[in-house]
Amino acid sequence: MNPSLALAAAAAFFVALLLLSNRQEQVEEVEVLGSPGQQTHNRFRSLPAFSPVELANRIFSKDDREFIARTRSPRLQQLYKQERRKVALQWVRCTSREVSRIMRNHRLGSRQSTNLNVAAESKLFCQYVELRLLCGMLLLLIRLFGPHALMDMAAHAGELYQRLGRRMTDDVVTP
Amino acid sequence: MTLLPLESSMSTPSNLVSIRNAYDDLQRRTLAGIPCDFARLIYLASTRDYNSGLYHHEGLAARFGQEQAREALEACHRDVFSRLVSLPLEELVTEMEAYVRVSHEAPAGFIHAWMELEPYRISVPMEVDSTVVQLFLSNIRLALEVLRFRQEKTQACQPASSLQPLLGR
Repeated sequence: MNPSLALAAAAAFFVALLLLSNRQEQVEEVEVLGSPGQQTHNRFRSLPAFSPVELANRIFSKDDREFIARTRSPRLQQLYKQERRKVALQWVRCTSREVSRIMRNHRLGSRQSTNLNVAAESKLFCQYVELRLLCGMLLLLIRLFGPHALMDMAAHAGELYQRLGRRMTDDVVTP
Repeated sequence: MTLLPLESSMSTPSNLVSIRNAYDDLQRRTLAGIPCDFARLIYLASTRDYNSGLYHHEGLAARFGQEQAREALEACHRDVFSRLVSLPLEELVTEMEAYVRVSHEAPAGFIHAWMELEPYRISVPMEVDSTVVQLFLSNIRLALEVLRFRQEKTQACQPASSLQPLLGR
């Protein structure tokens, strides 16, 4: 495949991801938080009970997942997945929205600044794009594979690696 | 202890001392007598007016002043809520089990009513991050489902266990 074509396809995919996450944010934001007026009200009045990392740890908690798995009830496991998926998606959307808000404020502030550091601003912008892409990818992964997608994939990769390692060792031992 | 709303809205030192005293008094006299955090949460939410969102406690207001009592109730409500949101699901289920016992209702009826009416929605303090609220409500739904599952399991086991002595004979 032509490398420039592959690059263009990848760029288009990421742009589509960004657009998708933005559109979903707008639609589902209203579903979760109510009207736009109410939403502004919530934002101004909200107090952080947890840091984003604490909240992520709580949402993607391994203990909760194991607790539900121990019940061996398919109905409970299904419900758990549905519930966690909803909360995880909201967490990603809120994080993405908050980052956009901070960036917008920064952009407005930097317009009035007389001594802009171009290198620092470029670095900041790259980090912003990286974070938005990450959020877009997370949204897609959670939607497609569930709330524990990354952990599951890592575990699966680990399993495959071990299996592959074992097979290669066996092949070496038994010619 | 999270005294964020207190420190921001009523910043004079004497006010802060009164609120702190009201907070301690509420913890010591009232909340300590309530057996579990979930029951404390429901109690504190019930002291809040549905229409205005303001808290009210006759005794506390008489001793420390209306505004101080309100702030103390709100701070306690936030603390209990934060503790419950931080709990792992397994511990939340234990909390809810304790609350069902305290309510003196038949567990099956309690679980059914809570699943249908979702009264726990009004137990959330105001001005809490929307994702935290979603997580809390989601955990309660899961905890209720776990309780129902356990109950169904117990009921399914009961006929078998009641047959056990008969079979043994």
